[in-house]
Amino acid sequence: MEEKTLTEKESIEIISRMIQETKEGMQEGSGNMFLLWGYLSTIVSLMIYFGYNATGNTNIFWFWWLIPALGWPAMVYLLKKRKRRVVTYINRIVSYIWIVIGICSVLVPIGSILAPVPFPALFVAALLVNIGVAMTGLVIKYRLLIISGFSGILFSFSLLFVHGLSCILVFAAMFVVLMIIPGHALNAASRKTKKYGLCSEN
Amino acid sequence: MFRELDPLLHSQLRLAVMAILMSVEEADFVYLKEKTQSTAGNLSVQLDKLSEAGYIKVEKSFVGKKTHTACQILPAGRKAFERYVQALKDYIG
Repeated sequence: MEEKTLTEKESIEIISRMIQETKEGMQEGSGNMFLLWGYLSTIVSLMIYFGYNATGNTNIFWFWWLIPALGWPAMVYLLKKRKRRVVTYINRIVSYIWIVIGICSVLVPIGSILAPVPFPALFVAALLVNIGVAMTGLVIKYRLLIISGFSGILFSFSLLFVHGLSCILVFAAMFVVLMIIPGHALNAASRKTKKYGLCSEN
Repeated sequence: MFRELDPLLHSQLRLAVMAILMSVEEADFVYLKEKTQSTAGNLSVQLDKLSEAGYIKVEKSFVGKKTHTACQILPAGRKAFERYVQALKDYIG
């Protein structure tokens, strides 16, 4: 961009073009967080399901804590490693949504341990995560996430009706459908944006 | 009577940088260079001018072994930009 005297129309044109430039689609690796939490939650759930079936030992339920214990450090590592060249207001809003969801998701199992009455922890955790997915989809205007999130919100209620260990399988399936698949789709969309400079669905 | 256009903003590259920084929370040097299609030297000079005027904040840090320059608009810059756009509207009518 060369320095020269601008006319008023040229100024307006530069402003419009630059604002448009910042509205390009997703950043590379947008789906990585979904994949991290999706795979981790699915693997831990299946481990607990099959582990309990094989051993009958209730101590295996402590393995739920592997999700935050492994997930948080991995998330911090991914966030540090990420080369973010621009921070938009949308990035900030999405981060805040997940910070709130993340904190609540840690409080839910603590609440379930301390509660004097039976507490549907898997239902509440699934509902929270799906609220996060739906809100993220709405904020970034990504249809697959909106559909996944709202389907997940409805699907979460099935955990109130499924009894016994089967609810762990439902919980695991939910993470595959609602986080792993959208996570891969998001990454594919961000790669497409990088390659062709296309807007995702904006 | 027309308002005078801020001479600091009435320059192609500085205006482009300010327009980008008005639309995002933070952008790094490489992003600004790519979006404005400017040279590193020219961009660096213009960023210094905007920074000296108190319009933007330029923060240099290290990411690994590489330097990372992040730019953010400041309230004074935001106000100046809004005044500039208002003045443009007056000119164009």
